[in-house]
Amino acid sequence: MGLLLALLLCATARPARAQESPYFVLYDHHMEEPGNLEISLSPVLASPRNGPRSLATSLELEYGTTAWWTSSLYLDGASATAGPSAFTGFRLENRFRLLMHEHPVNPVFYVELADTNGADRVAKEIVGFDSWRDFAEPIREARTETEREVETKLILSGNRRGWNVAANAIAEKNLAGAPWELGYAVGTSRPLALAAQPFECHLCRENFTLGLEMYGGLGEAGNLTLSQTSHYLAASVAWSLPNGITLRLSPARGLTQTSNRSFVRFGISYEGHIR
Amino acid sequence: MRIAAFTLVLLVVTACASAPIPARNPYANRPEAVQAGAKLFLQHCAACHGADASGHAAPSLRRAAVQSLPDPALFSFITNGALRRGMPSWAQLPDERRWQLIAYLRSLHDD
Repeated sequence: MGLLLALLLCATARPARAQESPYFVLYDHHMEEPGNLEISLSPVLASPRNGPRSLATSLELEYGTTAWWTSSLYLDGASATAGPSAFTGFRLENRFRLLMHEHPVNPVFYVELADTNGADRVAKEIVGFDSWRDFAEPIREARTETEREVETKLILSGNRRGWNVAANAIAEKNLAGAPWELGYAVGTSRPLALAAQPFECHLCRENFTLGLEMYGGLGEAGNLTLSQTSHYLAASVAWSLPNGITLRLSPARGLTQTSNRSFVRFGISYEGHIR
Repeated sequence: MRIAAFTLVLLVVTACASAPIPARNPYANRPEAVQAGAKLFLQHCAACHGADASGHAAPSLRRAAVQSLPDPALFSFITNGALRRGMPSWAQLPDERRWQLIAYLRSLHDD
């Protein structure tokens, strides 16, 4: 159903193109252009330290509500090399740019409501004491756990000489009464070429942006710690095509014994103007 | 953790070093920059300003009010946008591409 809706929206949208960020977990301060709709499919292959690999997929519809407000709807699903596939829930996200001019550091407030189950493995953020064990639990059992959560982020980001540097402070709370779980993401990115070529091209350097992200958990409110938390270092690349399609890839390596061994994230997105 | 600390330091250094805007477009009078700017315009601006920049959902960029703006003012406007009025910030485009856009805008004739 979600895919059908996405295809319908693709057919009615005029292609538009922004300089796409290569980040998967980290957010920078750039908002979706008003009236633009971006449809993304982002599979994530997770390799826990023990147990079967899992593949989670997120379908995202991101809309530029205004020039300072971006809204997104995510529909998530997961499957493992052994066991069934499952729809794992939805997330509704809003980002608000707090300052109306470009500054060296630009703050953005992010709030997300999530209604997912325990089998959700998209791992759009790592918080608290998230560990590889969450990914090793069989989907059949994990999907019975309901997780209604609110998540907030303070996004700080700035550009200089073609570089973007960004940092996110993350706080997530399960509405069933669990404590606030904390996390972070930091990183930097830069296009391979800063100036554009005078002709349309697919493989020229201006269409590629490279990035480096690091993200992980920081324990809970009242127990801010690095002990028993997961951390990942990821390289990423985005390839923006002239027709509004962007392809992205990001392999990530777990840095602690609590982390998954690795994530490999893929992304394909199409951006169009519908208003 | 060292990498995270390094990145945070990099963020602060980036924040403290704001670049002055050149008084003139470094890509002025360069035909290839006008061509590149035309390509960028179609990719990023045409949906609102029209394929020929004569206006659509957003105003014409051929107007004297736009053409008479000095280069740094135009660069600043493209960088910051006018977020409350619907014009997005294009700061995600590198400086070089924003100057190429301005080179193209300067090549347009007034109505």
